[in-house]
This record gives sequence, structure tokens and C-alpha cells, in this order.
Amino acid sequence: MGLWLFNGLLIGICAIVFFPIFSTLLLSIKEPQDVRRKPPVLLPCDTESAAFDPRNCRFSLDGYSRVLLLRPNPDSLFGASVTGRLFTQYVPNTLFYATFAAIVTTMLAGLAAYGLSRFRFRGRRLLLTLLLALSGVPLLTMLLALYQMNVRMRQMLPGYEERLFMVIVYVGFELPFAIWVVKGFFDTIPIELEEAAKIDGASPLGALARIVAPLAAPGLVSIFLLTYVNVWNEFIANYLLLGRSELRGAMYGIYEYISQSLSAYNALAAACILVILPVITIFLFTRQAFFRSMLEGAIKG
Amino acid sequence: MNQTQKPLRISVGRWLPFWVLLPAMLIIAAIQLYPTIYTILLSLQQIEPGTGRFVFVGVRNFERLLGSVAFVRSLVHTVVFLLGYVVLTLSASFAIALLLRQRLRFTPLYITLLFVPWVISDVVAGAVWRLFVVPDYGLFSPFFANPTLFGEPNGISILTTVPPNQFSPRIPLPPAPALLFLVVASAWKILPFTTLLILGALQTVAQEVQESARIDGASNLQLLRHIILPLIRPMLAVTLFYLILGGINGVGMVFSLTGGGPGTSTEVLSYLLYSIGFSKLDFGLAGALSVFIAMLNFGLIALTLRLSAAYEEH
Repeated sequence: MGLWLFNGLLIGICAIVFFPIFSTLLLSIKEPQDVRRKPPVLLPCDTESAAFDPRNCRFSLDGYSRVLLLRPNPDSLFGASVTGRLFTQYVPNTLFYATFAAIVTTMLAGLAAYGLSRFRFRGRRLLLTLLLALSGVPLLTMLLALYQMNVRMRQMLPGYEERLFMVIVYVGFELPFAIWVVKGFFDTIPIELEEAAKIDGASPLGALARIVAPLAAPGLVSIFLLTYVNVWNEFIANYLLLGRSELRGAMYGIYEYISQSLSAYNALAAACILVILPVITIFLFTRQAFFRSMLEGAIKG
Repeated sequence: MNQTQKPLRISVGRWLPFWVLLPAMLIIAAIQLYPTIYTILLSLQQIEPGTGRFVFVGVRNFERLLGSVAFVRSLVHTVVFLLGYVVLTLSASFAIALLLRQRLRFTPLYITLLFVPWVISDVVAGAVWRLFVVPDYGLFSPFFANPTLFGEPNGISILTTVPPNQFSPRIPLPPAPALLFLVVASAWKILPFTTLLILGALQTVAQEVQESARIDGASNLQLLRHIILPLIRPMLAVTLFYLILGGINGVGMVFSLTGGGPGTSTEVLSYLLYSIGFSKLDFGLAGALSVFIAMLNFGLIALTLRLSAAYEEH
């Protein structure tokens, strides 16, 4: 009896939580005339005689075709190529930022966390506190200065690459949290293993690469994934720091649809679905890694 | 957490910790530390008309800020938003965490499903909730436009409805429906995270403690109030910490859900910072507002830690 009640409640909650995603998915496959209906319908399955007739559901890929804007192209493998800006510009930019930011963050956080976990030196506690305190300073606060920094470097350095600046900004945002998380993982690895390796003649960095890093691999993987998803989802820094829209990422692509206030809501819904699909897939396949680093980081803070 | 490990005997590179820390610290210094200091200095300066140079003006930016209508308005919006956001999220995630603690057969599945909104970006989450209420065609639009439920609407959707200020022309109360809608959408997005934090804490409450309390005749409610709540108080403080940080600083969803509107009715402090600093390019005023927001963050977090007694544990 109690079990049924709990299961029922949880299923209800899951349904409510999922409803916004589900309705967006439905909207993305509606036909244009069903998108602009007053009053709106959740399922476009009504006919003139029946309010709901499952055999008469009308769906179309109109929203997706508006996002992708396929043009016939005989040179392409599929006979057509994508010309929608979301997939020719914004998503490739985001892939670039997320991939490089995640790689660099994981490597630098690994090195720094090794130093903080394995060595005792003057100023260590101060450094750890500072890393924590920085997470209390709002990100928007820093954007003013970073914006000026970017503008000045663009003027002064010939051949200056704004994409690299964006990657470094993301690395800087993600590092303090990442260092705390990775340090937590390193702390759980017994130091005796390294000492044994050193007796066998390994250098400290050799011990890090061959003994500690493999053992901390789950932690490093989870911080890589977390950074990847965070950068994928980031909007405000990307939007405000980069002056030219062709350098901006996928979230700006979504914002562009909204700010142009187009009434092709099925296209906006389709763009949303396409943009969240990769992160939801990553999450579903690697959820343990997410929970691990999230709890590790949160409890430290 | 704080295991004491014997320090490694450093023979090869005395400077090794310095070198492994250097790259990360350089980047953090450039991307976080320097901008923070720069902003503090900026808040004390103003662009001199004519020369375009920054000159020191003392606390004049702060005086301008505190005296401006937009600041008072945004502060009220932020307080309303934060209150709704914290109360709604904490109570909902606590209730869901209590349900998830029952360790049913499908609990792992429920946790996975409930967690999905967390990996969705705030811009997309805002867009998704915006689609519910776009004028005429949103799924919830007829509901919000119903005059018998919400009174005579003065707009065609909650994205265009602004109630008149009841108490003072400068204080935007009661809040616009769009602001409350923003609260619900933001709570939806953060709910998985806070639920998981509280669930983690609930699972550390030993079964024996609860059973012995029950043998002593404690009711369910007494058990919750006198045993479970005090034990998970540190974690509630951590949760509150994240809610305050996210609630004050989160701006992506405002951008995509309402764009600060209708009018200025969802212009929270972080959105005001954007419009002062990046639209009106009043850097001195934006610097002062940044400092104010940072102080608000630190003040509220310090208060949280003190109230929860987690302070002593640190």
C-alpha cells in the first residue's frame, strides 16, 4: 500500500518534471498550422468530429528543416548540406570551446591538485581558501574587466585569436571548482603507492603520470565531462565577450531565435531539442561520473 | 575529507609544487583575480567627459547607484525572486528527497530521470518555459489570460502583463506574473541538483538513530523535526549556499525567458548589471553595482553559515 503510494507520487513528479521537455519535443514536430492554433493543443490529434483520434495525429519535420535549412548539394555525401547557421557556425564553435576548455581544465586541475594534495608548503591553506572564495564572486562581475582585456589585446596584438581567449576564460572559470574536486580524488589514493614507485626510481611527475593519474581516472573523467557540459551550456560570457556573432556558440544560436521574436515556434523548439540532445546523451551514459564529481565538489564547498 | 597524510619527502625538485601549480594559478589570476580587483577599482572611477579618461571619484558611483530608481526596483525584484526561489526549491527538493530515500526498486531510475533538467542550459530552459506562455500560442497562455482566475488582464500574455504598483510608485509590488513564472522555471532547473544534495545528506542519517527514536515513541513529525533536520543542517546550508549564488547571479534564464520585461518587471540585479555595463556602457556605475552584488553574495552566505551552525564545523 505504502509502496504503491510512493511509486505513484514519484512517477507523478517525474512526469511533471519531464513535461516541459516533452511538450517542447511535441511542439518541434508539429505542423506549422498546428503551431499557430488558438486555443493551443498539446497533441495535434483532433479531428472535426473527435477531440482526440490517435489515427489522425499530424506531425511534420518542418521545425527541423527550418533549423537545418538543407540545400541540395551534389558534392555532399547525402546529396544535401546543412546551411542553417546553428549548425554551420554556432554548434561547431561550441564544440571547439567545450573540447579544448575541458582538456586544458582537466590537465591543469590534475597538476595543481597533485601539488595541493601531495605537498605541504607555506601558503597552501591560503591558496585553498582563495580558490573557494573566488567561487563567491559573481561571474558577471568579471566580465566587465575581461571585456576590456579582450578589446585591448585585439587592438595591440596582431593576429590575436579571440577563440583562444574564450577558451582561456572558460578554463579560468572552471579551474577553482575542478581543482577542489580532483584534489578530493587524489586525497583518497594512498601515498605509499607513489613511494614504492619512487624507490623503483620514478620521478614525482612520473609517479603522477603512471600511478596517481590512472587511479584517479574516474575523477579526471568526471571533471572533464562536467567542464564539457558547463561550457556547452554557457551563454552570458560567450555572448558579452565576443563582439562578432560568428564566433559565438550554440546557446547564442538559441537566444538569437528568441530575440528575433520569430513566430515559427516549432523551429525554436526543434533548435532547443537538437542543442540539448548531446548533453543529455552524455549525461545518460555517464551519470555516475556526474553524480560523483558534483557531490565531491559540493560537499567541499 | 581532511585526511592527514605524511608529507612526501621532497628530494628531487624542491620547487615541484610551485611548478605544477603555476599554470593553473596564472590562469586563475588572469581570469578571476585580476578582474575582481579591476572591478573594485572601476567602482571608484568615472569616465571624464571630454578626455575619455578614467578619474577617481571616490564613492560617487555608489551614491548614484543607491539613489537610482532602477536600482531600488531591481533590488526588490531580486529579493522577491530569491525568496520564492529558495522557499519553493528547498521545500520541493526536501519532499522529493524524502520520497527517494525509501529505496524503492526503481529509485535509481527516478533519480536519473529527475536529474535531466540539470544538464539543460539555462538559456534552453528559459526558451522551453517561454514557449509555454508566448502570446496566444503558448500551452499555458489561455490559462494565464483567463480573467476569472487572474482578474482582468492588462496584456495578452504574462509576458506582456504588468500590474500597477500598489504601495509606492517606486516599489514594484505586487510582483508581475512574469517574475513568479521566472521563479518556477528557475526552480525547475535547479531542483535536481538540490534534491540530490539533500538526498545525499538524508542517506547519512543512521537507521539506528531513527529506530531508537521511534522506540522512544517519536512520531513521524517529531522524528523529522528533532532528529533528521538537525542532522542534515550542514547540508541544508550548502544547498542554500548554491541557491543564493545561483539566484543572485543567474541571468541566462532572464535573457531567454523574459528579456527583463515586460517593461522592467523581471529586471533583477544581475540583469541591471548587464544593461548598465554592456548596453549603457556606464562602467563606473556597473563597477559599483558589481561590488554591491558581490557583497550581497558574501553577506547572505555568511548569514547562512552562521544560522546553520555549520560555521563551527569549518
